[in-house]
Amino acid sequence: MSDTPERPARTIKLNVLNEPKDSYTGGKSSLCPGCGHDQISSVIINAAWENGIEPHRVAKMSGIGCSSKTPAYYLGKSHGFNTVHGRMPSVTTGAYTINKDLLYIGVSGDGDSASIGIGQLIHSIRRNIDMVYIIENNGVYGLTKGQYSATADIGSKKKKGVPNKTQPIDLCALAINLGCTFVARSFSGSKKQLSSLIKAAMSHKGFALIDVISPCVTFNNNDESMRSYGYVKENEITLHMTDYIPHFNPVEEIDVPEGHYRDITLHDGSTIRLETISAEHDPESSIAALTALHHAEVAKKHVTGLLYFDNSKPSLAEDLGLVDMPLVDVPNDVLRPSKDTLDKINTALYN
Amino acid sequence: MATIANDFTINIATANGTGSQSANLILLQSLFEMGIPVSGKNMFPSNISGLPTWYIVRLSDHGYQAPGNRTHIQVLVNPTTWHEDLESLEPGSVVIWNENAKMEMTRDDVISYPIPMSSLARKINPKIAKLVTNIIYVGVIAEILGIDQAELESAVAKQFKGKTTAIELNITALGLGRDYFKENLSKSDPYVVERRTIEKKQFFIEGNEAVALGCIYGGVQLLAWYPITPSSSLAEGIINYIPQLRTDDDGNATCAVVQAEDELAAAGMVLGAGWAGGRGMTATSGPGISLMQEFIGLGYFAEIPSVFWDVNRVGPSTGLPTRTQQSDITMLYEGSHGDTQHIVLIPGTVEECFEFGWRAFDYAERFQTPVFGLSDLDLGMNRWACEGFEYPDQDMDRGKVVRDRDVFEAFEDFGRYLDVDGDGIPYRTLPGSGMDPILYRGTGHNPKGVYSEKPHDYFELMQRLRRKIDGARDLLPAPILREETECEIGIIYLGSMENTIQEIDDILEATGIKVSQCRVRALPMHSEVEDFIRRHEMTIVLELNRDGQMYGILRKELPNDLITKVRSAAHSDGDPPRAGIYAQLILDTLKEEEQ
Repeated sequence: MSDTPERPARTIKLNVLNEPKDSYTGGKSSLCPGCGHDQISSVIINAAWENGIEPHRVAKMSGIGCSSKTPAYYLGKSHGFNTVHGRMPSVTTGAYTINKDLLYIGVSGDGDSASIGIGQLIHSIRRNIDMVYIIENNGVYGLTKGQYSATADIGSKKKKGVPNKTQPIDLCALAINLGCTFVARSFSGSKKQLSSLIKAAMSHKGFALIDVISPCVTFNNNDESMRSYGYVKENEITLHMTDYIPHFNPVEEIDVPEGHYRDITLHDGSTIRLETISAEHDPESSIAALTALHHAEVAKKHVTGLLYFDNSKPSLAEDLGLVDMPLVDVPNDVLRPSKDTLDKINTALYN
Repeated sequence: MATIANDFTINIATANGTGSQSANLILLQSLFEMGIPVSGKNMFPSNISGLPTWYIVRLSDHGYQAPGNRTHIQVLVNPTTWHEDLESLEPGSVVIWNENAKMEMTRDDVISYPIPMSSLARKINPKIAKLVTNIIYVGVIAEILGIDQAELESAVAKQFKGKTTAIELNITALGLGRDYFKENLSKSDPYVVERRTIEKKQFFIEGNEAVALGCIYGGVQLLAWYPITPSSSLAEGIINYIPQLRTDDDGNATCAVVQAEDELAAAGMVLGAGWAGGRGMTATSGPGISLMQEFIGLGYFAEIPSVFWDVNRVGPSTGLPTRTQQSDITMLYEGSHGDTQHIVLIPGTVEECFEFGWRAFDYAERFQTPVFGLSDLDLGMNRWACEGFEYPDQDMDRGKVVRDRDVFEAFEDFGRYLDVDGDGIPYRTLPGSGMDPILYRGTGHNPKGVYSEKPHDYFELMQRLRRKIDGARDLLPAPILREETECEIGIIYLGSMENTIQEIDDILEATGIKVSQCRVRALPMHSEVEDFIRRHEMTIVLELNRDGQMYGILRKELPNDLITKVRSAAHSDGDPPRAGIYAQLILDTLKEEEQ
């Protein structure tokens, strides 16, 4: 630590790119005060800044809903596409085939991802496109004033109406079963954990899904709700402490004894360090991940942390067999075959 | 007996999945090689194997390519449609029928040629007798009509490219068919073929393959598609040409292909590609376009270059999936909810399929909007004579994209949707380029791209979009005009009706009526179309649908004084257009007018 006695007035902290955090902020949020989504936005801003990501290399993708409005509130120097309801994965897939070098950060909600767009979510996981896919999951439709979504827990009751009776869809379990290469669950109130997970997801190659419980303060934050701030705080099972060490920092030794922590090296050389504090969890075992989710569901609790990780699978860009250069940079005269080739085709067809 | 040379129609009735298609293509190709103007139409079911299929071969020295108004030579192989096919024949028609089909010849007013096709086929190889049966009837037809053996053999070689066993087997079977007819029957019909000299070299190609090749030369960078008849062969055509034309020495391609989970996703991927600065496209048919409507509106409103090929089949709903129609015109032109208007390119020949294939991308990027190619099953899946493809005569037009910082800095004020040039087309920057970013959206926005619900912003945006697409009118392919001097009646038509129009015109002329023709090749309609209508007393719009969709568009867009000059002649029964039906429709329209 520095021992400078006097802090100079108005020190502006800069990241590894010498950029202030202001370079990563966005417009003013129009969401309800206290909305979990705004906390997630601020974590995204921090994560991108601390990770030293060039804002113009980021593509902010979203669908429709409260969550999908948020790309306007972070990374104002990045291009983005606020698409249509539930269809962000396909738009991202198309953009990614043309420019595989961008960092795609998709933000979605539980209506977007678990109902109208569940097919597209499934198929983008199946293709293993390189993207961070954040679900801001509150169990209700906000913009249409508080209907249950497909992730609402059985027995949970929103502010108005009767308790939910329909089986919820657990998007993390779904993703693990589909072979998703990075699956995590977090809580908008757990900034430290969420920040580590989002940074790790940014460093991952392949599809990284983070399902973030993000309470809706207007329609689903009452005591009978299983997705209220109070309930989640009381009933969160944290799999492990999560620490993220960016590739440009040394991985430091820690005081945790051997066997009680695990370092996972990510695609860009960064590390996510998992410190086991409750039950042991092997993040490379899908069985362990599904078991943890199942136990939590039975106990009416929410399990958070990095549930599952697999860095062995090729991403879509590798499967497509394309030239190294992003297609957007391929010059016109390479895209259009020469006249000579067409002459040959005509000749072959005549004979 | 007087002979009839090169002017008759052969109808071959088989079941699908029995290999008849390759036999029929050999027949077609051999006639083509003899220089005879010929067209082939496959009327097939939506089924893998066992349902009735007809293949219609029309020979016409006039160059008529429609299926013809009657059948002159009927080949009967399929028992299922035996009686139906037989009953529909005019007296004096020729019937070549499979004696082993356990069916009877119930007509005594036709020229009957019974052939034991199955037992002849079994002689060659009992295991594949069903397949061989088809080539037997080709041999019989060849003998009856006098098709050159050398041309037949070269057509077989072309069909089975280097597969020696298949080539030998087929040539043997052709011989068996020929010999059986020679030894057991004698020719009592007037139909013969005569070799013709062709001035220009030609080859046969399907419209779908021509579009595919056009897209390859248009620099397509993403093909996102979902299989659907009759467009699958368009997408597969692109896939087949990528290794040869769009792959470097290391085997790496410059075009991505993603088979999507459905048409919604395919459309989303196409928009994503356009958003990222690439040339994305999909190929589909009406049902797919129905599913894509949401994205089409987003493409229009957020101004994303994107290309959609619709190979029209018969609707509504699943309709007749393997039959042809021109019924998606309105859906494409006014696709998606809200006020929209889209550019639609409508090829009528295989040469235009190729040309519009590459041009579609230029229009999409120039106007920053979805562009549709409208083909149909008849044009797309049947083989048409082609004089060769012409290399694009213009460099790729990538539209108003700001790629350099200097250019960007030179703007006094930059906004994604700011109409700097007064043509309604704004400038865009690409993600990853480092130029000023925007958050694209399907919600209301101001010229800066920022969310807005202000009446002024919305109104001005919608006016600009109208101005932009309207400005495309005279930059799109102009109509093809064939005008008679001092002619009072004009005919407007589109797309694959091109292959029937000459015959319609001849039928009308035989009744003493002369008409001018105008083939519309794009929407929004070129101003020459309006001029054409103005020059004629009356214009009849000919189209292959029930409601007269093109006629509806004209009525909506023409000035009041011209609307009363336009009439509709629309008809569709699923079959490719037969000249007689449409000529009669025109005559009926004229008669109504006189009353």
